[in-house]
Amino acid sequence: MREAGKNDLILPKKPNRKTAELGARYSPEFICTPFKLTLGTYIEMLEEGADELGSGSCHSWCRFGYYWPVQKLILEDLGYDFKFICLDYLRPSILLKTLQKEIGNNCSLQQAIRAFRIGWIKNRFTDLVDNLLYSYRVIETEKGLSEKIAEKAYRIIVETKELRNMKKLRKQLPEFFEKNIDVQKKDDLIKIGICGELYVVYEPSLNLDIHKKLNELGIVVENTVSLRSYLDIGLKLNPFVKSPYKTAIKAAKPYIENKCGGETLENVGDIVLGKKHGNDGMVHLYPFTCMPEIITRSLIPQISREHDIPVLSLVLDEHTGEAGFHTRLEAYADMLIRRKMK
Amino acid sequence: MKKRVGFPNALLFYKYSVLWTTFFQELGAEIIISPETNKIIKDLGVKYAPDEDCYSTKLYFGHTLYLKDKVDYLFIPRLGSDHEVNVGCPKFIALAEVLKSMFPDIPKIIMPFFSMAKKGHGRFKILRIIFSIGFRFTINPFRILISGKRAFDAQFKYEKGLKISEEELQKWENSEISLQNLSILEQRETPLRIALVGHSYVINDDLSSVSIKNLLLSRGIDLITPEQMPKVLIEKQMEKLDYNMYFNYAREILGTAMHFIENNSIDGILQLIIFSCGIDSIIGEMSARYSSRKPGTPLLQLVIDELSSETGVLTRIEAFLDMIERKNKFRRKELICHSHSLILDH
Repeated sequence: MREAGKNDLILPKKPNRKTAELGARYSPEFICTPFKLTLGTYIEMLEEGADELGSGSCHSWCRFGYYWPVQKLILEDLGYDFKFICLDYLRPSILLKTLQKEIGNNCSLQQAIRAFRIGWIKNRFTDLVDNLLYSYRVIETEKGLSEKIAEKAYRIIVETKELRNMKKLRKQLPEFFEKNIDVQKKDDLIKIGICGELYVVYEPSLNLDIHKKLNELGIVVENTVSLRSYLDIGLKLNPFVKSPYKTAIKAAKPYIENKCGGETLENVGDIVLGKKHGNDGMVHLYPFTCMPEIITRSLIPQISREHDIPVLSLVLDEHTGEAGFHTRLEAYADMLIRRKMK
Repeated sequence: MKKRVGFPNALLFYKYSVLWTTFFQELGAEIIISPETNKIIKDLGVKYAPDEDCYSTKLYFGHTLYLKDKVDYLFIPRLGSDHEVNVGCPKFIALAEVLKSMFPDIPKIIMPFFSMAKKGHGRFKILRIIFSIGFRFTINPFRILISGKRAFDAQFKYEKGLKISEEELQKWENSEISLQNLSILEQRETPLRIALVGHSYVINDDLSSVSIKNLLLSRGIDLITPEQMPKVLIEKQMEKLDYNMYFNYAREILGTAMHFIENNSIDGILQLIIFSCGIDSIIGEMSARYSSRKPGTPLLQLVIDELSSETGVLTRIEAFLDMIERKNKFRRKELICHSHSLILDH
């Protein structure tokens, strides 16, 4: 966004318990949890003095496209004065137009495309750093070091300007991690894939930092879903690279054929392919009352039986208790270790 | 022997029952429809369905399990949407596959996929679906074609009979005609007109709506449901929004609610919300917010799930009706006072 010429951005604070409570107070009763959290974040940002809010929107079998109209109504009733910018990421042409008009103060189309392209390329690297962090945190000798390094890596990504320099990052980042973290090599580590609803997988305050918890139990984690499946048009257009989402969708065919919103197809495919990718197990996360993921949840027992892969499915909302959550993860980890020892 | 085809009497069956049953009847299949939702079906559904599904979907599971041993085929279409842009509920698409996965021993499911929002799903696709289903029952292609045509004709006729025209609606609003046939005994001195808003599979299902429809009718209240609303008026309301309402079934419901909120022409709106229905959580909030911005027509929202008791609902509805009556009396008094003062002025 910054590339498009808007420099007065207020970045949202990391949501915490208070945000969730604030959002839940003004939200409809049984809407999904991401709605409540984002609403809480918006209220906090408006209190800080923001006057334009940005939100994603889509046109699919999910409630996500209704987030901003309803949130707008709620916030207006609360007496805030603001303007909503909605970004429709499933239809690139409309997205570019809004980028051009609303955010970039009528910049040229080329500039808008360029800004967008830089956005998705940077997104690739943040994913890379995420996955590096999740594997290094298991084997680090000094606790907490890899998190600091990852923070630094994010800042490098944000600050890199030229496209040329960015291409170098692909090599630099793993080296950067290797150089700075002392590791204690361990053999046969257990690896888990995390799939599920995108927001829940990526928001540590909602999933109670499941990645860190699993890392502390000595398990390497990898996210299988990513925002890139929507943003990375470069990958979609490139005929030489097969995108992982397409393979996943193909693998999901015997269980569910048609797109039905959210990440159902991708998740089902990822679980089917889990063993092939070298994962010992999968964790499936979804927010309470999420419509598409309930479908995935109902299909999981069959897939798990047929492909012999243990899947832990967890529902999350703002009332999820930390201790209970931890116990379940520990039991799951123990089960995986026993399975591997056999 | 005739092949038996089972139809779970829930969800979209309330909308497309005529189309589906006519088609299979013409093909020469024996049609078995599960009975109206009863206690046994409800218990089956609540017991075996996934916990987080909405109440209506749970009932669908119950209906399917009830039919399990009685039929050769189950007809559970995967209907994405019947509009070029707008879509339906995601659960309807996956219902058949989820059922197959959860209960491996249920009979063969006929599950055509159709979604007009997808590319290449038009008339030709419908024809292909008709033939692919038809050849399971007969080898005569002409018979299949004719049954398809008759089925669609019957459905159009049925839908036409359901909808009322704009003039009729206006007449109804001025209490010149009544939409439901109330017997004379039950007619009140001053007729109350209420819009009963909600999914068609909730309103018309006595068990899941806690028989609200009959309750209101027995009190001599005239009802209108979203199914009856003229489409033009709904589209007109939808154009006023600054975003596209892309859930097709929600358009009818929200459009009806918004029309009466805006025109202020009836006595009240009663909205039935099914617990944990994704669409209802959105439009429930929207209609509540719009109604609070334009208070004039009272709006009552009832959330229903498998634990709702009839008495609790009854109490709330009685309170709602009392409130409306008090309000009307107050308004009438005001009107009389107003006309008195007019006379005195002259």
